Amino acid sequence: MNRYLKLVNFELGRFMKIYIALIGITIVSQLAAVIISSKSYLNNANQAIHVDRMTIEAFVEQYGKMSFNNVTNSILFFGPIALCVVTLLIYTLFIWYRDWFGKNTFIYRLLMLPTARLNVYFAKATAIFLFVLGLIALQLVLLPVERLLLQKMVPVDLRLDMTINEMIRYFDQIGVMIPNSFIEFVLHYGIGFVAVFVIFTIIMLERCFRLKGIFLGIGYGVLAFIVFFLPVFIQEFILFNYFYPAEIFVLMILTGLIVGTGSIWVSNYLLTKKIRV
Amino acid sequence: MIEVKDVTKKFGRKQVLKGVTFTAEKGEITCLIGINGVGKTTILNAIMALTPINSGQILIDGSAINKKSYEKITFIPDAITMLPQMTIGQSMQFMQDFYESWNQERATELLGFFKLKPEEKISSLSKGNTAKVNLLLGLALDVDYLLMDEPFSGIDIFSREQIANVFTSHLVEDRGVIITTHEINDIEHLIDQVVLLDDGVVVKAFNSEEVRENEGKSVVDVMREVYQQ
Repeated sequence: MNRYLKLVNFELGRFMKIYIALIGITIVSQLAAVIISSKSYLNNANQAIHVDRMTIEAFVEQYGKMSFNNVTNSILFFGPIALCVVTLLIYTLFIWYRDWFGKNTFIYRLLMLPTARLNVYFAKATAIFLFVLGLIALQLVLLPVERLLLQKMVPVDLRLDMTINEMIRYFDQIGVMIPNSFIEFVLHYGIGFVAVFVIFTIIMLERCFRLKGIFLGIGYGVLAFIVFFLPVFIQEFILFNYFYPAEIFVLMILTGLIVGTGSIWVSNYLLTKKIRV
Repeated sequence: MIEVKDVTKKFGRKQVLKGVTFTAEKGEITCLIGINGVGKTTILNAIMALTPINSGQILIDGSAINKKSYEKITFIPDAITMLPQMTIGQSMQFMQDFYESWNQERATELLGFFKLKPEEKISSLSKGNTAKVNLLLGLALDVDYLLMDEPFSGIDIFSREQIANVFTSHLVEDRGVIITTHEINDIEHLIDQVVLLDDGVVVKAFNSEEVRENEGKSVVDVMREVYQQ
């Protein structure tokens, strides 16, 4: 356990510079999105009210009030979210492959550590999970700050205030990241965690069997997908709405557990018996 | 004792090892010799469970390798096993964090022996100094067995001398060493056991001292006989 925690700490440290850069980009870009969207709205309002002599009421009726939706539609707002998602997806592959390639073969050291090799696997997975959760926590902290900034910039007559809950619900991308209910949380993050284990297993297959492993990996990925979504497929194509949504949810937790533990078991076997440096 | 028993290994269709058998005793230096591609590195990787074998058995003091074995056997490959952005000091700290067998006193002694600075980055080291750091990280572990893959490969004569001196020092004393090398001249006088490999099999295994005393031949003489036949 102690070595596992040390490995997690080590893995976190290896990505920290990029991670801090991502955090910086997200903060700056999203605050810029609030400022630019607000200024743009206020410029329009000033033009309409002071130059075109429209009343505030008429302007609001014609253009609507400024809400947080104006901000979330900006590329400066969702761009860094997309950047973080893409970076972490790439990192899910890179976290393994960087240890194999290059002059300094760190994988030798990792595989020769006096600890279960599965600890290396779990440490890498934990690092990914922590990075994801950290970025979501950042977004949760940023939303009230961004709302406050918007409130400071746009007069109350011209803006439509939203609660944090509404901000999350009206913006799909955030809605996926920050679920509204426990069931959504289990579904979204369960799928995410299982997906990471499946990707790791595919990487292990490729690292063990190289070219043959790519095909085995693709096969494993397809199999994992089918098993995980089996309740949905049965519901849609065989039993036609036989299950209640709650039953589908429970069945998907079961299939998720099967795919997740199966992936960990296969990876453990490969790391112990089949891995090649 | 490290026992390699009838080990076979295939890479794709190529049979690299065709039933390799030899033993390496604690307190002795065993040298694996053979041309490039004969499977010397593969044997070391297989001993460390860094590559799977197709058949045969490898035992370390009578047991198959497991996670605890890495506290008593270590492998020094020909490339450094630390991250380029780490300093020598950070690499030592990493080893200390993970290995109970890490001997900080010996590590400090080795730093002085090799004239290395802890603040130097791995990425900025010359090939010779990289080999020395690799050696330091392996030798500073209180292990029973050391596996070294081509420790003299591509490094300057002074670094070679320094590394060769390690074998005559207390740093290697009482440990079992398996070494693969082409630069036999540097360590010929230090080798106890020689395993000559060719085409995936052990063509000859002998005690260098016995051959010297009984037949008046050096290791290189035997190599000539075997490989030039």
